[in-house]
Amino acid sequence: MTNIETKVKTLDAEGLSLKSVSLWQITRRRLFRRRSAVVGMFILGVLVFVALTAQWISPYDPYQVLIGIEEVERRQDPCIHLFGCPADQPQHLAGIDGNVRDEFSRLLYGARLSLMVGFTTVSFAIIIGTVLGALGGYFGGWIDNIIMRVMDVLLAFPSLLLAIAIVTVLGPGLINALLAIGIVSIPAYARVMRASVLSVREMDYISATRALGGSNLQILFRRILPNALTPLIVQGTLGIATAILDAAALSFLGLGAQPPTPEWGSMLGSERNQVFTAPHLVFYPGLAIMLTVLSFNLLGDGLRDALDPRLAHIS
Amino acid sequence: MPLISSKFKILWRRNVKRNLSVLLSLLVLMSLVLAACGTPEAPATEAPATEAPATEAPATEAPAEPTAIPKVPIATFDGTTLGVPDCDYGGFFKSIEATDQYTVTFNMCKSDPAFLSKIAFSPFAIYPSEWIEATAGETTRTSDGLEKPVGTGPYMVSEWNRGESLTFTAFPDYWGEPPAAETLVFRWSSESAARLLELQAGTIDGFDNVGPEDFATIEGDPNLHLQIRPALNVFYIGMTNSYPPFDNVKVRLAVAQGIDRQRIVDTFYPEGSEVASHFTPCAIPNACVGDPWYDFDPDAAKALLAEAGFPDGFSTKLYYRDVVRGYLPQVGNVAQDIQAQLKENLNIDAEIVVMESGAFIEASGSGQLDGFHLLGWGADYPHITNFLDYHFGEAQQQFGTPYPEIYEQLVAGGQIGLPEDAEQYYVAANNAIRELAPLVPVAHGASAAAYRADVETPQASPLTTELFAFSDPGGRDTFVWMQNAEPISLFCADDTDGETLRACEQVTQALYGFVVNDSATEPHLAESCTPNEDSTVWVCKLRQGVKFHDGTDFDSADVLATFNMGLNPGSPTHKGNTNLWEYYSTLWGLMEK
Repeated sequence: MTNIETKVKTLDAEGLSLKSVSLWQITRRRLFRRRSAVVGMFILGVLVFVALTAQWISPYDPYQVLIGIEEVERRQDPCIHLFGCPADQPQHLAGIDGNVRDEFSRLLYGARLSLMVGFTTVSFAIIIGTVLGALGGYFGGWIDNIIMRVMDVLLAFPSLLLAIAIVTVLGPGLINALLAIGIVSIPAYARVMRASVLSVREMDYISATRALGGSNLQILFRRILPNALTPLIVQGTLGIATAILDAAALSFLGLGAQPPTPEWGSMLGSERNQVFTAPHLVFYPGLAIMLTVLSFNLLGDGLRDALDPRLAHIS
Repeated sequence: MPLISSKFKILWRRNVKRNLSVLLSLLVLMSLVLAACGTPEAPATEAPATEAPATEAPATEAPAEPTAIPKVPIATFDGTTLGVPDCDYGGFFKSIEATDQYTVTFNMCKSDPAFLSKIAFSPFAIYPSEWIEATAGETTRTSDGLEKPVGTGPYMVSEWNRGESLTFTAFPDYWGEPPAAETLVFRWSSESAARLLELQAGTIDGFDNVGPEDFATIEGDPNLHLQIRPALNVFYIGMTNSYPPFDNVKVRLAVAQGIDRQRIVDTFYPEGSEVASHFTPCAIPNACVGDPWYDFDPDAAKALLAEAGFPDGFSTKLYYRDVVRGYLPQVGNVAQDIQAQLKENLNIDAEIVVMESGAFIEASGSGQLDGFHLLGWGADYPHITNFLDYHFGEAQQQFGTPYPEIYEQLVAGGQIGLPEDAEQYYVAANNAIRELAPLVPVAHGASAAAYRADVETPQASPLTTELFAFSDPGGRDTFVWMQNAEPISLFCADDTDGETLRACEQVTQALYGFVVNDSATEPHLAESCTPNEDSTVWVCKLRQGVKFHDGTDFDSADVLATFNMGLNPGSPTHKGNTNLWEYYSTLWGLMEK
């Protein structure tokens, strides 16, 4: 209470009109107050910017083999003019890869691919998982039983192994890898959704809606879903990190993105034997994966704290 | 509501609920099991995949070949003579006779100029006759037969920890020079960086297939020694003419001229590798007669492609297996470069498809790949027939329908002993390969093994037959060798994998063998094999006083029993691992028709 009162007071002092402060505004403020979340958001912002503008900011075509075009050696070390690389040599911020292509450009395009992988798989999983979880939680009985037992079976497998099995059946390729990762991450969302539904299903306002003649769909999507949104967002943000990591792992194993697609995992995998002779080819893609996953994890943690009403007085 | 009915309801519900969940979980489990069993590409089916040709090949070939009637064994064997009534069956041997205890006579159907090189090849190693009979199982060789071979070699198998290591110990009664190290250990790792690390740490004494990027590291390290293996192999881009657009010779010729092979060799191959001027490496007699391969000419290639009706290129696939071999040390990079070149020079979109090794060999060998395939060949024995006949022979399906322009020349040339006399046929064959372009020979790749500097006689045989009995590991009593992969079995009479053959070569010996680090032959279990004038009869005098690992003496009966096992499908001992007997059948011809 005191918190909201002070907020209202500050708003008043700033000469703004008295308005109710929405959950989202509070969340945003709390989020920006957490340093780790800000760091996560900053890295993520850079990544999104890079992903959106890759074709304009990358110095080379990521598929262009530079043999005969430039005087570069295969797997050449990075050449950065700012750090003392002679100005007459072409600048390659992350060096040259095993097929004589500019590694930096490939890394930039890789950001696009990784974010796309993260968002699509998690959206897919959230949509399916939410529907399944909501159906199970709301209707209960045998529907719940069927859905949740299938989810249990999915959860019984280590997620990466199950994804590998699915990709083996479907055949390697980026789309199939996305599908596989999407499928293995469904149970997490279904469970979150079901738990939220169960906790509010018997509440008075639901009964009230029902008494007023609200249909099942209406109750489910207008009354219950908004309540479940908070944990879903947190789970989703953290899930993107896992999805990116899984996609990179699949590509590392040669089951995900196929060459010559600039995907971080496959870039790392194809040069894994050069860890001592050309460490930049292993280091940079690894770093990129790490930063991306870190940013989503930081943001996810921050969101969880910010969205948790029980932690309201802390921040 | 009455009490009883409500109680009943609860009970009923509970039970049904429980049953339902049990039923459901069973259902899901069943469907998972079904899904796992029903998928053709599941990794679990890897092992049967290698066996598949035996059962599947006749079925799939049946519509194309009306002659796919099951073959009948025609050989007769009475313990001293293995023979066929006539030579119609197409093989090389008319009969093999044990003339006396230490003499074996090979009567040939046609003269075989490569006889000594072939007889020296490790799948034709001699086993004791008792062992051959004792280990012949119902359909395949027994596990003892597959994993504990008995031979005459300097080492015998002592322990095979599957997935871990393979240990050999010295054979005390070996007829020759005793091995330098008492114990020999084989280990394996598919990562070249890992192999190098082990060598640097001193946990192994030598390893094969040094990564091209590590050549300089090893040469610069005074504790290590780099042993370059001569390039007796070829890497090629194959095209199968039964699939459009590769049925059009102009398309194939466009690809033949549209790929900058020099760039591939310069960029991805280690020192000592060469751009292939001909399919067969030039160290082999008659290999490089005829016109050399086309120069790189993207404009001419584009014009050819336009003439063939593809001015804007086409879409296809590029198949390969992610396996390091001497002819293709960096397969992924080379594949991507070829993909980029096809796009850039010919506007051909080739989607990369990486296949499992066994499945790839099976599909490419039977001509079922509808795009380009990247494969190579390393010499088994240094003769041109080992390269050309194996790829372009009349029965080979790898490039689709075989080309008579090529195989007719090979049949004629393959029976002539003196290389000079056979030259005209190989000129014609090489030129036909160039004009028909079933494949694009790209490179003869140098590879290397690395050893600790104190290892004496470091080996990198051009035929990959390293005999570690000759290599002294600096006085240590154990020699540890690391290769790419684990042997498949240790019964090499019925195996073709190079990593497998190398393990067998430590244990078993053939009548002839290869000189250390060379492709020349030298007598092993035979003291000499001499031909008659037109080399249709070979008489082999056997070495006396040779003992097998099981203590039995070596004599002509063992040679007969071995060839009876390999060549005679009617024999109860004709039981192997895959039961394809690929080398017996392609190099000599199984006695059946």
